[in-house]
Amino acid sequence: MANIQDKSESEWVRVLSEDGWTFIVPRKVAVASGTLKNTLSTGFAEAEAATCHVPHRGAIVEKVMEYLSYKTLYESAGPKEDIPEFSERIQPELALELLMAADYLET
Amino acid sequence: MESPNRSRLTRRRSGYGSDDLDASDDGDEGDQPKTKKAKLAKAALAKAKAKAKAKQKKKKGDASGSDDDDEDEYNALPIKNSRRITDLDDPTARPPIGSLEECAECHKEFTMTRYTVAADPGPGWLCHACAKAAGIDPFKKVAPRKRKAPTEKRKVVSYEDVERIPTLSGICIKVITQHLEDVEALGDIGVVSMNEILRVIAKARSLTAENSQLFYNVKNTTLTIYDATNLKPDALCALASLNPNLESLRLDYCGLIEGTAVEHWSNSLPHLKRIELLGPFLVRVPAWIKFFESKGPQLTSFLVTQSPRFDITCIESLVTQCPNLTELRLKEIGLMADSFLPHIAKLSDLTYLDLSRPKESLGDQAVVDLLAAIGGKLTHLDLSHNAFLSDVFLEDGVLPYTPVLTTLILSGLDDLTDRGVSKFFKAYRKEPPLIHADLSRCHELASDALTGLLDHSGRDLVELNINSWKDTSNDTLMTIASKASRLVRVDISWCREADDFVVKSLLDGCSSLAYIKCYGCNHVTDACPKKRGVNIYGVESHVAS
Repeated sequence: MANIQDKSESEWVRVLSEDGWTFIVPRKVAVASGTLKNTLSTGFAEAEAATCHVPHRGAIVEKVMEYLSYKTLYESAGPKEDIPEFSERIQPELALELLMAADYLET
Repeated sequence: MESPNRSRLTRRRSGYGSDDLDASDDGDEGDQPKTKKAKLAKAALAKAKAKAKAKQKKKKGDASGSDDDDEDEYNALPIKNSRRITDLDDPTARPPIGSLEECAECHKEFTMTRYTVAADPGPGWLCHACAKAAGIDPFKKVAPRKRKAPTEKRKVVSYEDVERIPTLSGICIKVITQHLEDVEALGDIGVVSMNEILRVIAKARSLTAENSQLFYNVKNTTLTIYDATNLKPDALCALASLNPNLESLRLDYCGLIEGTAVEHWSNSLPHLKRIELLGPFLVRVPAWIKFFESKGPQLTSFLVTQSPRFDITCIESLVTQCPNLTELRLKEIGLMADSFLPHIAKLSDLTYLDLSRPKESLGDQAVVDLLAAIGGKLTHLDLSHNAFLSDVFLEDGVLPYTPVLTTLILSGLDDLTDRGVSKFFKAYRKEPPLIHADLSRCHELASDALTGLLDHSGRDLVELNINSWKDTSNDTLMTIASKASRLVRVDISWCREADDFVVKSLLDGCSSLAYIKCYGCNHVTDACPKKRGVNIYGVESHVAS
């Protein structure tokens, strides 16, 4: 039990894409996604290993991770602070797949 | 020699003509009359102010005037050479203007004025020269206390900027909408995914006339739009024009659809066979009739939920114009009544009939007559929330006249009794068995009805809903798994005797189970078993955590 506790406290988690890419991101960033948050919370094997599988290809998962970092960075921004548009970073050819990944990950 | 010099210097520095008020004895005499005059004028002003204040107080009816002194001592009438009793009690209280005090710093005697400042640290008062030496500007105006405007007290929030960062889905939809014209840029993603994307966009409630074009295609034969809230009649006409080969069309939340769009469809969708609409509130009778006339015998499915204007002339027209209907749903139709049923009885090919949730319940006898006429081919029957239907309609209608029924949905029929339903299932023909049975919220039903149902078609049941069969015994619930091993979806919510062991028996006994709903089952606890691939909804302890 103590072991699990330690792991869940650890700061980094691993996110795997379906084609074998690994993304190591801060836990704070990963839990900005509803799905990843639930998977990393109590009781599942994913939580114990701090590893999540996302059934999308690497390029998409990378973009999602980029968005999650963007979200955690600007979430606490003050009302006067300028937030850059994320849409400029999305290549249109990724948009459809990214939309489905976004839906899956509840972001 | 020194003092005038210094005083001139300070005068130049501060610009005030009063720097040597108390030291004036050895200063030049020319200044004095001027300052005295000013002093007098000021005293007069103070007097006038005090008078006004006193008047105000009288108006208010406030008798205790001395309380005010701490706050407004500048306006108080000077009382010469005597202190008030209150002042004597309190050493920090300000002596009256005009009285002689000893300076706390240089111990000279000086006259109190309204500009005299307190020594820091106290107690005592500073003469004018010492105050200036300490770096305090005695003439510094006390900023008038600003009264807050009453509007400022109440913070009016006209809108709250809750989420400044848009969701990734939202951003993607925006990007897709921007690049709609550029099909190459978006890339081909296949039909299955298209449907999936339609779902996602509907979930985000952002399907618009512009981005819906992404899903239009001349080759489309079926189209499902899960959220047509933002599609105006024009957009719905465009939909028909851009998908001319549609055979099946389903629009959910199509509240904006009205007569013109339906009439446009009459002419522009030549192959339409199946139409499913949720919420076409604004369509009027003539538009419906014109639509039925234009589609005629080719229409096989007409599925409508919530249409308050659909009246008996519509159903007459539907029955005469479209005799080949096999699927009919008139759910939540405000004007539905027994008088509709003789017309529906002419649709002899019906396999699917849904007349649930009318405003006024249909009656037993009318439904029995209807089933006698068209029950022969029915496989799906939904008569939920017809409060007047009782055991009679089951026994006299469903029992003798529905030989091939596989889906029976009778939710919310309060008049059904445990005995009646159990008797019905005992007498009902066994083949084909029921696959989907929903008798939820029939509060009288309990163990006998469940035993009857499971004995009748348990072997083949895929979906079972016995929500709110509150008195069903634990023993009977335990038999579900063994008698209905093919179950995929089970709802045992509000069956008060369901417990962890019932859940366990279902998980063990039904190999293809997808979910169990057990809302309001207090005996199902956190300790209830879990199984990969099976969702258990409604466990109370899960909600709490």
